[in-house]
Amino acid sequence: MPRRVLSLVSGRISVAILLAIALLAVFGPLLAPQDPLATSPDTLAGPSGGHWLGTDYLGRDVFSRLLDGSRISVVGSLEVALMALVVGAIPGILSVYLGRAFEWFTLRLADTLVALPFLLFAVAVTALLGNGITQAMFVTGALVSPLFYRVARSATLAVARSQYVEAALISGASLGWVVRRHVWVKVLPPIAVALAQTIGVGFVIVSSLTFLGIGVQPPAPTWGGLLASDLGYLSYQPWAPFAPALLIMATVWACNLLADAIRDVSGEAGRALANTRRAAANQKANQTAAGGRA
Amino acid sequence: MTVAIPMTERQEIPVRTNVRRPRGAVIGIAVAATLVSTLSACGSGGASATAGPSGTLKWASSYFPTHWDPVVGGSGAQFRELALVYASLTRTDESGKAVPDLAKSWEYNSAGTEVTFHLREGLKFSDGEPVDGAAVKAAIERAKTQKNSALFGDLTSISTVTATGQDVVVHLSQVDHQIPQLLGQRVLQVASPKAAQDPAKLDQNPVGAGPFVVTQVVPGTKAVLKKNPGYWDAANIHIDNVELTSAPDASTVVSGLQTGVYNFADLTPSQADAAKKANLDVFVLPGFNASNISLNVNKAPFNNEKVVDAVRHAVNRKEFVDKLSFGYGEATDQPFPEKYIAYDPQSKNRWAYDPEKAKQLLAEAGFKPGDIKVDLVIPDAQPASEIVQSQLAAVGITVNIKVDKNWAKPFFAKELTLSLYGTTGRDSAVQTLTAHFGPNGPLNLSTPYQPAGFDAAVAKVRQTPLDAPDYPEVLRAATRAGLESKALVFTYSPPNLIAKSKSISNLPKNPAHIDWTGVTISGS
Repeated sequence: MPRRVLSLVSGRISVAILLAIALLAVFGPLLAPQDPLATSPDTLAGPSGGHWLGTDYLGRDVFSRLLDGSRISVVGSLEVALMALVVGAIPGILSVYLGRAFEWFTLRLADTLVALPFLLFAVAVTALLGNGITQAMFVTGALVSPLFYRVARSATLAVARSQYVEAALISGASLGWVVRRHVWVKVLPPIAVALAQTIGVGFVIVSSLTFLGIGVQPPAPTWGGLLASDLGYLSYQPWAPFAPALLIMATVWACNLLADAIRDVSGEAGRALANTRRAAANQKANQTAAGGRA
Repeated sequence: MTVAIPMTERQEIPVRTNVRRPRGAVIGIAVAATLVSTLSACGSGGASATAGPSGTLKWASSYFPTHWDPVVGGSGAQFRELALVYASLTRTDESGKAVPDLAKSWEYNSAGTEVTFHLREGLKFSDGEPVDGAAVKAAIERAKTQKNSALFGDLTSISTVTATGQDVVVHLSQVDHQIPQLLGQRVLQVASPKAAQDPAKLDQNPVGAGPFVVTQVVPGTKAVLKKNPGYWDAANIHIDNVELTSAPDASTVVSGLQTGVYNFADLTPSQADAAKKANLDVFVLPGFNASNISLNVNKAPFNNEKVVDAVRHAVNRKEFVDKLSFGYGEATDQPFPEKYIAYDPQSKNRWAYDPEKAKQLLAEAGFKPGDIKVDLVIPDAQPASEIVQSQLAAVGITVNIKVDKNWAKPFFAKELTLSLYGTTGRDSAVQTLTAHFGPNGPLNLSTPYQPAGFDAAVAKVRQTPLDAPDYPEVLRAATRAGLESKALVFTYSPPNLIAKSKSISNLPKNPAHIDWTGVTISGS
C-alpha cells in the first residue's frame, strides 16, 4: 500500500510534509540555532539574520523555540492517535466475535465516549492528574477511540459475514486464523485512514491545549503556546502568529491529505483507481512511443 | 490593576457558588431591572440637567469580584470594584491620608488607646437600614469573627467596639494611631447589618451605602449598578449607570474599548501601545504596587541563610522592569514605591544585583551549580516566573515552574517553598508591613518567621501619631527592620495602567483607589 500511496501526487505531498515535520520532531531541538530558553535584552525584535523569526517578549529566539517545540506537538498527537487506535480498534474487532454481552457493553461505552466533549475533558483531567501533556493526550485518545471502534467493527462485520470466511470456518479454520488471514487485511486500510485523520485531529487538540496553557509547564515552547503568547503582543509583532499557525495548518492538512490518499488507493475502489491510472499511463506511453516512431 | 502579575492580591480562595434561580424569577428580575433603570433615568432627567453630563460607565475589570461580601473579599485589588457599592468609615485623599467618608470626624483619647468616630446623620443603606453606630460596630465585629473573614488579621489592635447613636468608640488593645488609616475602603467597607445577617446571601447580593446600588449580579461575569441617590456625596457622582464586566483575554480588551463595548478598563503594559494607537486615554493611576519573590525559610534550600542571600543577589530588577512593564513600571526592593513616605532610602540597594557574589555564596554553602532544584509554584503562566527562572539559573539554582490553578490554597497555607506575589499595597503603611513581614502576615510565606526587631519597630509606629514630626523616620525604621526578612525579595513595581474612552473625564489621583467622585461621562 505505501507504494500505491506514493503513486498519487497528493500522497507524495503529504508524505513529504509529514516527513519534514517528523524530522523536525526528532532533530528540531538539535537544529535550533540558539538556546530556546536563553533570554536576552533584545525583546520583541523583528526578523533579522541573527533571529530569523525575531525574538519573543523575553528576548528568546522564536525560530529556535518553534523548532524545539515541534517535538511536544508531534509526540502529543501521536499519543492521541495510538491511544485511540489501541483502545478503539481492538474492542471493535473483538465485538463481532466475543458474544452479545461484550458487543452490547462496548457499543454503549462507545456511545458514551462520543457524547463527552474531549477538550473540556482533557482540561478536567489535567486539573485532576496534574498538568502534563501525556495525561491529557491519553484521555483525549480514549475519547476519540469510538471512531476506531466503529470503523474496525464495521469492516470486521463485513468480512465475518462473507461467504469465503464461512467457507473457511466450515473447513475447520480457527477463529484466530480467520482474524489473522482475512479480517486483519480488510480492516487495516480503513483503520489507516482513520489513523492518519486522527493524527491531524491530535495536532489540533495538542495545539489547542497548549494554546490554553494546559499540559505544558513554562518555559517549554510549543506551537500552540507560541501562538498564545504572540497574541499578547500583536501591536508590536502583528505578523508573529503566522509561523506557528502555518506549521499547525500544514501538518493537519498533510495528515488529512494522507488520509485521503490512503482511502483512494485502498479497497476495491482503490484498486480500480490504480488500474485506470496505470491504463491511462500505458496508453500515454504507447502514444508517445507511437508518436516517436512516426 | 497590574495584570503583568496576574495573581496580584487574590487573598482568598475563590469559591464560586452559582445560585440557581427558576427561569421565571430571572425574567422577573430582568424586567424589574429594566423598569427600574428606565424609571430612574426618567427621574434623574431633570437632575442631570443641573448636575452636568451623565452616562453609563462600562468597566471591564481583570479583578471582577469573586466575593461581594467585603469581609470575605479582603484587602486585595477587588476592593476597588466593591467600593462602587460600599462606603467605608474613612477614605483616603490624593496624598494617601485618611479623610471622612461615612465618619465625618474622629478623635483619639489622650492615651491613644481609644478612637471615637462620629458618623454622618440621616444616611441609609440601600435596603433602608440606618447607617448608625450599631451598623459600624456590627461591621467591625463581623470582620473580626466571621469564619471566612479575610480581614481579622488586620484588626488585631481592636479589642472591643461600643456604639451610641451616631458615635462608634473603638477600644484598642495597644496604642495604635493607624486606625483611621486602616478602616478605609480596604478594611472597613460597611455592609447593611440586616443583609449581613446572611453572609452567604450578601456575598451574592451586596447591600451598602456607597455611590451605587447593585441591580443585578451574574456571578463571576457581570454586575449592573445604578446611582444611589441616598449616598452622602451623591451630588458629586455624575455617573448614572455602571456595567461592570469581567475582562476577557488581555489581548481583546483594547478592541472592546475601541468598539465601545467598554469605556474603561485596566490594561496589561503590553497592550498600552495598542490602546494609544486606538486613540484611547492611557494613564497610570498612582499606587503602591510591588511584586516579590516569596521564599519559605522553613523549607530547604531556603533554610540555609546563604542560599537566601544568593537569591537576593541574583535578582536583576532592571530585567523585570524592561521586559514586563514596557516603560511604565520601576524597580523596587521594598514593598513601597520610592516616593512613598514609608520607603526607606537607607535600605536602597541593600542586596544589589551581583551574580558573582551569589555564586560565591552558594559555593560557600557547599552547593555546586545545579545542586539546588526547587519548584516555583504559580497560579498561571506568567512571564515574571520565566525571568525568575532564568536569573536563578544564571547563578546555578535550577527552578522548575509549576502552574497550579489551585495555587491560593497551598500559598496561604504556607506550604510552598518558592512562589511569586504582587501586592497593590495598603492604605496603612503598617498594614503593608505586617502583611508582608509579620509572623502571620498573609504574604509571609515563612510563617511564623519574622525578622528580629520587627515587632518592636511596628509597635513604635503604631504609637506615633501620623502628624508627629518623627513619624516618617519611625515608619522607615520599621520598613528597615521588615526588609531584613528572608522571606521576600522585592522585584519591581508594576503600573496601575488604565485605558479609558476620552468621553470619561480624568479620575482623582487617589493612590491605589479608583474614585468616581466628580467624574463625568459625556456623549454616551
